[in-house]
Amino acid sequence: MNWLKEQFQKELWSPYAAGVLLGIVGVLAVWLSDSLLGASGAFENLAGILGKAVAPGLFDNMYFNFIMPPEITWGVVLLIGVFFGGLLGALSSKTFKLRVNGDEQWQRIFGPQTWKRWGIAFAGAIILEYGAGIAGGCTSGLAISGGMLLAPAAYLFIAGMFASGIVTALLVYGRRY
Amino acid sequence: MTNMILALFLGVFFGFSLNKAGLTRYNKIVNVFRFTDMAVLKFMLTALVVSMSGLYVLRGLGLITFPNVPGTYIAGNLIGGMIFGVGMALTGY
Repeated sequence: MNWLKEQFQKELWSPYAAGVLLGIVGVLAVWLSDSLLGASGAFENLAGILGKAVAPGLFDNMYFNFIMPPEITWGVVLLIGVFFGGLLGALSSKTFKLRVNGDEQWQRIFGPQTWKRWGIAFAGAIILEYGAGIAGGCTSGLAISGGMLLAPAAYLFIAGMFASGIVTALLVYGRRY
Repeated sequence: MTNMILALFLGVFFGFSLNKAGLTRYNKIVNVFRFTDMAVLKFMLTALVVSMSGLYVLRGLGLITFPNVPGTYIAGNLIGGMIFGVGMALTGY
């Protein structure tokens, strides 16, 4: 019991241990719900709801009507759970804090200005979500959920993601790489 | 409804595992692309190995059928992945 409590309060687990937990969650999602874990799709469902309310004409197309329906889907509820799970993790290790800027490493590379963190994170997130939309999923929805079903798409995606991620990091970090 | 409660419950464990692996931090994500911290890869591939073994055993026992496998579009998956990687390295998502 003490051991469990100790693990619960630990800030970082071995990535192998955390990976086993995620693997079990992935199996349970298919077994109990017949669904695949994912994150990026849920944002598109939410964007659809918002878009239909604000600009119905613009969002009245195949993609937002059928592929990513504007509904509170299983994935959206999962994402709400992810938020609380992350919160629980941070609270359990007493590392929870509200922060508006990046961490130390971020500030060393990009500078201490808060607007830079927000601007780059916003732009980066748009690029990321757009890429996920083209590929058909993100790290969780395609790479992990597809990979566990041995879908070739997942491994193509992982290859592309690492190739460009490494190049981007090289460009951003330059001589500090 | 039960399905939605399950989703919430599974999501909590999903988020918890991400947090405990440190994947909620910018430096963990970007450092895998700099080859200085391999936590992301260790985490992802462990999850993959565990879940694919579990799923194939369960299917072999006839307990589950696989959901729709994500379709393969070589250019789409590859180019989408490459665009995704740029955002991932910039944002630390």
